[in-house]
Amino acid sequence: MNNSAIRNWLGFSTLALMLASLFMVFDYVPPEADQGIAQLIFYFHVPLAWVAFASFGLVAIAGIFYLWLGDQLWDDLGYAAAETGMVFCTLMIVAGSIWAKPIWGTWWTWDSRLTMTFILWLMYGGYLMLRASADDTPAVARFGAVIGIVAALDVPLVIASVRLWRTIHPAVLVTKQGGHGLEDPRMVATLLMSLAAFTALWAWLLLLRFAQLRARSRMSRLASGVALAAAAASDTN
Amino acid sequence: MSGFAAVLRKDLRLELRSGESTLALLALSMLVLVVLVFALGAARVRSVDAAAGALWVAMVFAGMLGANRALLAERDNGAIRGLLLSPLDPATLYAAKLAAALIFMAVAEVGAVVLMVLFFNLEFDASIARLAPILVLGAIGFSALATLLSAITGRTRGGDMLLPILAVPIFVPALIAGVKASAAALAGAPLESMGDWLKIMIAFDVLFVTAGYLLFEHVVDED
Repeated sequence: MNNSAIRNWLGFSTLALMLASLFMVFDYVPPEADQGIAQLIFYFHVPLAWVAFASFGLVAIAGIFYLWLGDQLWDDLGYAAAETGMVFCTLMIVAGSIWAKPIWGTWWTWDSRLTMTFILWLMYGGYLMLRASADDTPAVARFGAVIGIVAALDVPLVIASVRLWRTIHPAVLVTKQGGHGLEDPRMVATLLMSLAAFTALWAWLLLLRFAQLRARSRMSRLASGVALAAAAASDTN
Repeated sequence: MSGFAAVLRKDLRLELRSGESTLALLALSMLVLVVLVFALGAARVRSVDAAAGALWVAMVFAGMLGANRALLAERDNGAIRGLLLSPLDPATLYAAKLAAALIFMAVAEVGAVVLMVLFFNLEFDASIARLAPILVLGAIGFSALATLLSAITGRTRGGDMLLPILAVPIFVPALIAGVKASAAALAGAPLESMGDWLKIMIAFDVLFVTAGYLLFEHVVDED
């Protein structure tokens, strides 16, 4: 399996999908009646959300496999997923904020989805700070795995509690309609294209970062192997 | 004596002899409440929402201070190696540490509740009794989470700073539920009316005690 070939293919696909998605958003789909052109952010915001949460799930799954199998590959995957996911989570919050300003007149509101995403962002931040505050030893990889698992298990509870919090004290501003109550089939098509484009972008960035971390792990293994060999050689002298 | 009882007894005995952790927790709870009285302007107004919020802030900060010190005694003298070499199962060690953290947090909570009633112009009546199960559920959840996380943060450079950064976002469900239920209890609502919040807290407790029990062995080790 040629990793760089897959990455290149993914890169070009991402480019194509992104261009198609941009065309559809700006030229094809009609903006929604009452929100006007600002509503188009929806087609970036939703895919960013899906990717941010999926990446976090991947951190947890990689963590489980790392604790179970002990192979450094899983830790590299989890770390790459955390870094990539953080980028998309930040973008989602920024996009949400940019959307909120013209629609609701405020840069931020504690609506259930924005709150949930912000908590997710904090969890990502905690994970990355943990990894940054210690060297990349197997112990720290285990810490990362445990944090990833524990935080991911917590996510359903955060969603439930934040939703309950918002329904008992409804926000002054009406939240954007829950679903994807998309009447026009062109909207559905655009959303799907956008989802595909951002998923491809995420996968491409994830694999790039993963490859870097794998190379780094291999390097440190080689380096310690060389050091051991040198020590053994000097011992026998 | 079982391993669990031995470790728990040791922690309680250490604390009873010096009393420094409990004193620090009580002092911190009081000081946090004082800051919040000034910050929220609660001196003249009788507000259950402000009181409940302030109580939980004090509990979370005191709980984090307590958790940072949970494995301190073991780390300081390399005693953790002895514990790990003993037949004691790491999961049992977790349970004992959790029980100790819970007891210390409960003591601090009693103090915090008394201070809250005094500072926020409330009454010592039945609403305080209704508060008790909510605070117990919160303490269990927080202790479970913090004991697991402090085993991690104690071994990294970030250390004490890193524990709140990791713990607070994860604690959010229990925090929201706890504050809302506490405010309702102080306002006179019966426990049945806050069923949803209590369910969230119970789910949180079950999840994190289980997760801690299963995962503790992966994170506890000598440095």
